[in-house]
Amino acid sequence: MANNTVTLTALFQEDVRAAQAVRDITSPSWRVERVCGPVPSEAIHQALRGKKTPVGWFTLIGGLLGLVTGYGFASFTSLRWELIVSGKPVVALVPFLIVGFELAVLFAVLGTVIGLILHTRLPAYGDEEDNPVECTADRFGLVVQCPAAELGELQAFLEERGAWVRRQ
Amino acid sequence: MATDNTTPLSFAEVDQTVTRTLEPAGRLYWSVVVALLLGMGFGLVCWIYQILVGIGAGGQNNPVHWGTYLVNFVFWVGIAHSGTLISAILHLLRAPWRNPVARAAETMTVFAICTAGLFPLIHLGRVWMAFFMIPVPNQRTLWPNFQSPLIFDLVAISTYLIVSVLFWYTGMLPDLAAIRDRASGAKKRIFRALSLGWTGRYQQWAHYARSYLLFAALATPLVISVHSVVSWDFALGVIPGWHTTIFAPYFVAGAIHSGLAMVLTLIIPLRAIFGYQRIITMGVLEKVAQTIIFTGLIMGYSYATEHFIAWYSQSSVEMEQMAFRMFGDMAPQFWIMIVFNSLVPLLFFFRRFRRSLFWLFALSILINIGMWFERYVIIIGGVAHDFLPHAFGGYAPTFIEYGIMLGTFCLFFFLFILFVKHMPSVSMTEMKEKISEDQAHGQ
Amino acid sequence: MGATAMTGTEANGKSKRFAGVGRLAWGMVLLGLAGFVAALLLGEPQIAWRAYLVNFLLFSAIAQGGLAVSAMASTVHVYRSSFPQLAEAFSAFFPVSLLLFLGLIPGAEYIFPWLGQDFAGGKDLWLSLPFLFTRDVVAFVLLYALGLMYLYYSLWLRVGQSAPQTGLRTWLAGIWSRRSPNPETYANRRFVLGILYLIAFAAVLSLVGYDLVMAAEPHWYSTLFGAYTFIKAVFVGIGALIILAAALHINRSVRMEIASWEYIDAGKLLLAFCLLWADFFYCQLVVIWYGNIPEETAYVITRTVQAPWNVMAGTVFVLGFVVPFLVLLNRRVKTLPAMMTGLCCAIVAGMWLEHYLLLAPALGGAESTVLPLSWADPVISLAFLGIMIRVVLGYLNQFPETLEPVAGSRLHGAGGN
Repeated sequence: MANNTVTLTALFQEDVRAAQAVRDITSPSWRVERVCGPVPSEAIHQALRGKKTPVGWFTLIGGLLGLVTGYGFASFTSLRWELIVSGKPVVALVPFLIVGFELAVLFAVLGTVIGLILHTRLPAYGDEEDNPVECTADRFGLVVQCPAAELGELQAFLEERGAWVRRQ
Repeated sequence: MATDNTTPLSFAEVDQTVTRTLEPAGRLYWSVVVALLLGMGFGLVCWIYQILVGIGAGGQNNPVHWGTYLVNFVFWVGIAHSGTLISAILHLLRAPWRNPVARAAETMTVFAICTAGLFPLIHLGRVWMAFFMIPVPNQRTLWPNFQSPLIFDLVAISTYLIVSVLFWYTGMLPDLAAIRDRASGAKKRIFRALSLGWTGRYQQWAHYARSYLLFAALATPLVISVHSVVSWDFALGVIPGWHTTIFAPYFVAGAIHSGLAMVLTLIIPLRAIFGYQRIITMGVLEKVAQTIIFTGLIMGYSYATEHFIAWYSQSSVEMEQMAFRMFGDMAPQFWIMIVFNSLVPLLFFFRRFRRSLFWLFALSILINIGMWFERYVIIIGGVAHDFLPHAFGGYAPTFIEYGIMLGTFCLFFFLFILFVKHMPSVSMTEMKEKISEDQAHGQ
Repeated sequence: MGATAMTGTEANGKSKRFAGVGRLAWGMVLLGLAGFVAALLLGEPQIAWRAYLVNFLLFSAIAQGGLAVSAMASTVHVYRSSFPQLAEAFSAFFPVSLLLFLGLIPGAEYIFPWLGQDFAGGKDLWLSLPFLFTRDVVAFVLLYALGLMYLYYSLWLRVGQSAPQTGLRTWLAGIWSRRSPNPETYANRRFVLGILYLIAFAAVLSLVGYDLVMAAEPHWYSTLFGAYTFIKAVFVGIGALIILAAALHINRSVRMEIASWEYIDAGKLLLAFCLLWADFFYCQLVVIWYGNIPEETAYVITRTVQAPWNVMAGTVFVLGFVVPFLVLLNRRVKTLPAMMTGLCCAIVAGMWLEHYLLLAPALGGAESTVLPLSWADPVISLAFLGIMIRVVLGYLNQFPETLEPVAGSRLHGAGGN
């Protein structure tokens, strides 16, 4: 971080205003450090040019792995003893579907969790100390860094877009 | 849905209403907690007695080898399902009445599964033998029999517990962060640890929102499959009254029926005590009641179908089983089941019953009683009166069973009221999402 | 939902655009009828009546299930899309279905294998021609009456304000003007009738499933069979609805406006019922397979594992479950009308084969060793398809406002996710 930069926190009541402010920041010396809020917002996501999340792939892979594991494990354990129980075949596809299905769902959920943890990089203890507390309450926050000389300009820019501004 | 003429809530009001409930509790609260602890303790003593004396301390014997432990198991798993229906399925359907009650419903689910999970252990008698069920390589070179419905149960219920806990906890993350930012001292440290450093940055929200949707989409088939698997504990056997193809959807509908009734039983007092009237409006309770009509109709259809097909099949054992249920030793329980489960919910067709807190609460209790008796009639009736008349028998729960039942009911309510006083019992984030959606649509 | 009144020439123009398809439909009906008569004359009444029954069940299910979609939309789930109002077009088949059911009476000896068998305990009363026909006619009349009453109120709410152009509309307008309807009362009545229709739908289709399909093997039973029948009806009804909507959307002279999100929602509903149908099938299969009781398993073994029906069973599974499941997982596919039409045609064909698979082993056995269909099956099916097309077109000609998008539906889209 450069020595003579200041950081301003702008709090918006509506997400569309915050998104507009993000889109309007074109000056290269102004850096958007973080945008946060209490609810997800499609407007802000698009303003930040966010990409589609790949978490779904983790889910799909988990699900397929689970299906194979379920069928595979049940078949493997049955084949260890090869006992015919109440006239059913040793490797019985009809009931093993249940085990396969349940494990498919379980592994898909675990895949989703892994995907979520990897991409959100949680737990991120310490990150919340730099975070405006209003962002978990009722305001959409924009934390912007700019050179000290442009402080006034940035503050006016944000206030005219409906923000309440403070120094971090 | 009737309008409640309330001015729309703001984000700050939602926060305040919910965080106010987390303030230190008074004497009445702690007295109730202690009373529930005593109940749990009594149940534990009964269970220890059973472990020392043997499973015969309960009433199950020949021919009724599955008694109240199984009835309670199915009862609690059933209750868990409607929590997932509300929090997962209604999320997919984008039903607006879901958000105020989703957290309490999902909490009910987690604790109901925990309570249900105790019963297979209690029913084992020699509890330590439970490790036989876990599929790990061992020096006995034994594996569980994956063709057994009881192992399907193990897999399904474990899956359901893990998925529900993850869904519940993930859903709570933004709320835990909100409380962390408003708390101080020890409370702040605890919530800081629990909220994993959640900040609400939009990079996090993108992945989070999609993950939550995927959780909901994955929990949805579990609502159908888990209770279908539980029903197959009975249907895959050949006992008359058990071996019938309708069991899976019948049990799932019954689960949702009893679960919704338990939601009402829990939420009506919660709403009154915590002052949630603006969040959990009468409209929301009405929607729950309307859904209960639907599940009640399915129960009525199932009862009628079972009896009709028993006659149509001209199978003497099936017809005898149905006659036993209607006119035999189990008749009082049977008729309670029919009236409370399929006729009583029809009262919710009338606005007077749907909009009255007293009737909503009272009928929800009746429905839960009826659903408990349904499991009793099915499980105990089936084995008491199956193929050979000389093997017909009776069953009565013993004092130990009643004690354990009391203990587990106390456990459930204990966990629930501990939760609601120390954690956010309404999802603040989802309420805020609903508010901002309503604002965006200009309503 | 005010559609503006149309001029006489506009209405004529709109009815002309279906003229070609209408003629084709009549052609199909004549061809099918000829096939039916030919089969009778050629000394193969078994295959003729079997095809009649299968088609009667399938096309009635499409009609009943289609209206059930509309009823579900207006009672249980608020569904601001054009699909539910389009679904009401299928109710035009109701009177035809009733007549076709009565038409089964001459063929009773070929479609009711239990005729002449002895049953104990009052079951011979239940399975007797007079009682069966009486109760099923009463059931159909009740179901169709509730459906048409529902339609009556629904039509007033949607098109009651427009000037009538056709005979039926004028007659309806006459009734409405004598009654001076109140929008709130009518909306409330539609709601109540929607619920009553759905309850009757479940009960009547269960009864019809037990009487016309399950009873073909009179000693076999499955408690879930009734529910399985009505879930199948909704599944195939949604499939047919999507075909209809896509056809109207693609057709150059109609170009019905349907937004992407409406297709996506319909696709999701289709996937949900596909899974539900497959689940209900599995629920029956696993219980019967596991119990391994011969009086139950014989039915299932014949239809799923034994030649020659096993190939058909596999085909049904692929067309009814595997293909829809894999295709409908993709969001984009749901917005392509041509793809959805293809998929839904596969589904309806799969359900046709499913009805056939349940009935044919009991009603006359196999003709060939690979795919045990006869020449009469596709030919006679054409007749029923032709009738269905004809009545739906008739409905759309009478109520062209059905093709206008629901007011506000484009603005208040349910949105994607």
